Amino acid sequence: MRGLPIEIKGLSKHFGSVLAVDNLAFTVEPGRVTGFLGPNGSGKTTTLRMLLGLVNPSSGEATIGGKFYRDLQHPSGTVGAVLEATSFHPARRARTHLRMVARAGGHDEARADIVLDLVGLTADAKRKVSGFSMGMRQRLELAGALVGDPDVLILDEPSNGLDPQGIAWLREFMQYLAGEGRTILVSSHLLAEMAQTIDNVVIVSKGQLKAEGTLESVMGGVSEATMHARTPEADRLCTILSGAGSRFRRLAHDMVAVDGVTPEVLGPMLAANQIVLYELTNEGADLESIFLSVTSGLGFGDTVTPT
Amino acid sequence: MINAVRSELLKMRSMPGIWVTFGLTIPLTVLGLLLAFATAGGFAGHTFSFVYTLAQKRQMLGAGYLGIQFLAPILGVICITSEYRHKTITTTVLLTPRRHQVLGAKILVIALWAVLMAALSLVVVTAVGLPWNAGLGGVTSQVTSQYGAVIPGLLAATVLLGLFGLGFGTLVKNQVAGILITIGGTFILEQILVALAKQIFHYNLNWLPSAAAASLAGAISRGGFNGHEGVSLLNWWQGGIVMLGWGLVPLTLGYFTTFRRDVT
Repeated sequence: MRGLPIEIKGLSKHFGSVLAVDNLAFTVEPGRVTGFLGPNGSGKTTTLRMLLGLVNPSSGEATIGGKFYRDLQHPSGTVGAVLEATSFHPARRARTHLRMVARAGGHDEARADIVLDLVGLTADAKRKVSGFSMGMRQRLELAGALVGDPDVLILDEPSNGLDPQGIAWLREFMQYLAGEGRTILVSSHLLAEMAQTIDNVVIVSKGQLKAEGTLESVMGGVSEATMHARTPEADRLCTILSGAGSRFRRLAHDMVAVDGVTPEVLGPMLAANQIVLYELTNEGADLESIFLSVTSGLGFGDTVTPT
Repeated sequence: MINAVRSELLKMRSMPGIWVTFGLTIPLTVLGLLLAFATAGGFAGHTFSFVYTLAQKRQMLGAGYLGIQFLAPILGVICITSEYRHKTITTTVLLTPRRHQVLGAKILVIALWAVLMAALSLVVVTAVGLPWNAGLGGVTSQVTSQYGAVIPGLLAATVLLGLFGLGFGTLVKNQVAGILITIGGTFILEQILVALAKQIFHYNLNWLPSAAAASLAGAISRGGFNGHEGVSLLNWWQGGIVMLGWGLVPLTLGYFTTFRRDVT
């Protein structure tokens, strides 16, 4: 194992009167890909920036291997960070940017070519960043994070701008790095792709922790299926579900998601009330339904404590 | 710290704005030479003349100061404000989390570029000015004997002007605002204040940046193309101390205010 644990303890951040992060606490283990999930504006980026010493916490602490980022002896050799795909000088060539990163971190400048090859940008090494697409910038940002061959990789919405092929590549790449024992913390609000990538999950909403654990344990902790019913009588169905005390969400004018029920329970209920159905599907307890339940406060307002 | 300096050197080298600013030293030094020969000519009753008084010879050798007095601050402003303009400050601070080291590296790198800028102006003076002066009938050895009197002041003034730009750039973060403050402030506001101080209060306002730098490079600017004819300049060492203050005060204020703030 070559990774280091990340520990967030009682972390809070006020921006004026806005509480962006509220007493957040969780741990990220080495050797696994941990998804840091939450809706836009839930405090993910602020948390990561506090972890990386870019933003000063109002209270609490965030450490990597027991040390604050600024106290690491070799910051870029310990932690690689992908924060935003816009932090390049447009006139700088890709290779020059990476040589600059290597110099600042005290790494061999030959690493620039190695990481360019790793992210598939060798052919574009001498091109100016101004001519790069968003996906290429993401790859270059990732290359910059890898220059120091770090033990910990922190990625903030890394799949933004990547095409499906790029997303699949990134998924495999993160799992490969975690397989080497590195600590991978990746934030995202795109759940479908994350579900296929992550081993552990931390879900935040409004700056607060909502769920933490392995993906299986969080899913198991919920252990409830979600049924999707497509019907021309969605309004009447909602009234019936409300009367029965069921938890449900209106997904579209003719689509209702019913949480915490099985087909064996919902089917007879719909038949007894003579609801016309176009479609009834068992969505299971997928990451998206858990995320929506947890972050919308429609049922899982409290932290899920998996075993 | 060494790593940060090496990275900053490469960073500066890979910015076109730095090279444009640096390159402008050449035509502006030639313009400075033109003014030096015109000034000498004016004294002699001609359009142009070779330089013959001590002040004229020194003015000719320091002809580059005409451009340096605003190019060096711009160099300093760009060095820091481009980090905010292009959001590279995030990467910079991630790579060098001890932020005072980032500023320390930038000070050293700006000093080096300033020395190179002053050296470039001297190369232009030697390659263009000396043959030009000889062509007008001047004796080259009488001019080159003044190199020793001009070079230290020119180098020191250029370095401190670069630091001045770096300081205000750190304080305001915005590139346009930084350039407006350092250039507009010194070349427009300072001249107005100097004139007002003289006319209304009969006060010799000689400690503002442009006058302080000029007094450090005294042999150069007393020639008259820097608008300081009406000001009795400080001694060179007094000018140096004042100019150091004009660099370090905004730099320190900038470090403790904007530079240590959250990078969001």
